[in-house]
This record gives sequence, C-alpha cells and structure tokens, in this order.
Amino acid sequence: MSVSEIALAEGKAANRRGAEFRRGLAAATPVLLGVVPYALVLGAQAAQRGLSVLEVPLMTGLNFAGGSEFAAIQLWTSPPHILLIAAITLLVNSRHFLMGAALAPFIRHLPKRQVFPALFLMCDESWAVGLADAQRRAVAGARPAFSLPFYLGAGLAVYLAWAAFTTCGAALGPVLGDVETYGFAMAFPAVFLVLLRGMWKGFAAARPWLISLVAAALTYLVVPGAWYVAAGALSGLVAAWFLAGET
Amino acid sequence: MIDPMTVLAILAMAGVTYLTRVGGYVVLKNRALSPRATAVMEAAPGCVLISVIAPDFVSRNPADLAALAITLLAATRLSMLPTVAIGVASAGVLRWLIG
Repeated sequence: MSVSEIALAEGKAANRRGAEFRRGLAAATPVLLGVVPYALVLGAQAAQRGLSVLEVPLMTGLNFAGGSEFAAIQLWTSPPHILLIAAITLLVNSRHFLMGAALAPFIRHLPKRQVFPALFLMCDESWAVGLADAQRRAVAGARPAFSLPFYLGAGLAVYLAWAAFTTCGAALGPVLGDVETYGFAMAFPAVFLVLLRGMWKGFAAARPWLISLVAAALTYLVVPGAWYVAAGALSGLVAAWFLAGET
Repeated sequence: MIDPMTVLAILAMAGVTYLTRVGGYVVLKNRALSPRATAVMEAAPGCVLISVIAPDFVSRNPADLAALAITLLAATRLSMLPTVAIGVASAGVLRWLIG
C-alpha cells in the first residue's frame, strides 16, 4: 500500500466510525425524552436539599447513575453521611455488575484502554441500547457484533443530557413545579418494553423475565427502597439456572 | 458554592459507581462459561430491564396502568419512537381524564 492508499483507508475507517457514532446518537434520542424530565426533577430536588448549582453537575457528571443520585439526595444531610451514601450507592448500582457481565462477551476483543473509559458511560439506557444493537448485529452476522462508536454515541448523548439538565433543574427548580404530573414517566417503560421485544426469543426463553417481573413487583410493594431491582434480577437468574437444566 | 464534605461524598459515590461498572467485566472477561451459566447470562439483560420497570406494573394509579397496557401493546408492534410517543401521550391524556 502506498502512503496515499493508507491515508484513504484510514479516512474510510474514520467515516465509518463517524456514521456509527451518529447512529448511536440517533438511537439514544427517544430515550432522552425519558431522561430529561428525570434530570430536571433530580436537579430541582438536589437544590432543595442545599446542593449548589456547581455541586449538582459535579455529582451527576462524576457519578452518572440516576437511581443512586435520587437515593443519595433523599438521604442528604449537612454535612452528608459519607459511608451511608456510599453504601446506598453500591446497593442501587449493584445491577451494573450484571450488566457488565452481560456485556463482557461482546467487548472481550477490545483493548483495556478503550473498555475502561467506555464502561464509565454504561448506564441502563446506553447498556440496553448498545447490547440490543450487538445482539441484532450478531444475528445479522456482523463481526464484531458490538459497535463501540455506536455505544459511545448513545452513552455520550445520555451523559450530556443528564449532566446538562440536572444543572438546569438545580437552577430552575423552584420555578418548575412537579414535572411528574405530565406523561413523561411513561417514556422509560416504553423504551425498555421495545428493547425487551427486541430480545424476545419465544415464551420459553422469556420465563425468567416473568419471574423477575413478579419478584421485583412484590419486593417493590413490600420492601422500601431500591431492593426490588436486585431481588427481581436475582430471582430471574436463579430461575434461568434451574430452567436451563430441563433440556 | 462548593462544600468540601459534599465533594468528598460525591467522590465516594463516583468511585463506588465506577467499580460497579467495571466489576462484572473484570470478573468475567477471561472465563469460558458453562452452558448453564451461559443460559443465565443470556437471560440477565431482560431480567434487569423488567425488574427496573416492575414498579410501573403495580402502580396504584389506574390511568398509569391503562397507559402501560397501551404502551405494552404498542411495543409489540411498533418501533422505538412511535412507542415512546404513544406511551407519553396516553399517560398524559389518561392522567388528565381519570387523574
């Protein structure tokens, strides 16, 4: 290959990465409809608890995990109880272990210097969109199935929206009132239901999901706090373990 | 504007959260899984997703339950954007109608 041919090949690869990145941004757009109202609410609640307009983006930008931030804000005192907040954060975000484990076979081939920064952007939304895309590409025969620029596009869109709109929420909090009264809360389940439909492989394969749904719903009704995610996910996994022994 | 204790608490949160993000990958990246463990891993994404939205299925608000049923039906037939639009619109309208 001559120098110009190498440059041309590199240019094509960069174009492809750019197109994949933009495809990721586009895939995340419907998700943002659900993220933005939540971000505004979190920012407003944080401001109410005494966090400043600088401290809110510090939290949402460095931590970037909405569920744990809502929980932490509920428990926020002045000064904050650091150990308690760290423990609750671990509890709420423990689902990330499972999510990372599910992602591991798809990102095994990538170098660590790409994986470790990329995992910082792993949230419910970017993980679900990225994994669903990898599963679809695997079925279609694409190699590698996991598209890193697609995932980064989706993750960055959610990240920037989260950091920016929690800050807006902190600044505008007192003016906004209750965003929850509109229908935006339904955007989140809508996104997840479509993603589940994409993972559907027949009723038999979906039995663990049903167990998870029932276990999580019951836990949610009976136990206060965010335990229901862990309880539901683990029940489904135990069910999958036993059901796998049937055949 | 920035309180040192608040910064410490935020750094603790951020550190813990990042560990949860890399933990699953670090533990599993170099392991070959048994067929059973593979079945569990294949079910895992759906189990986590459905668990996160489980509270919506037991909402005490009849408007939200009806909107969820409509959204579920839409999700089986339509792509992402129309499903989200139908979900948000039906929740908004039904909450306004039945409260």
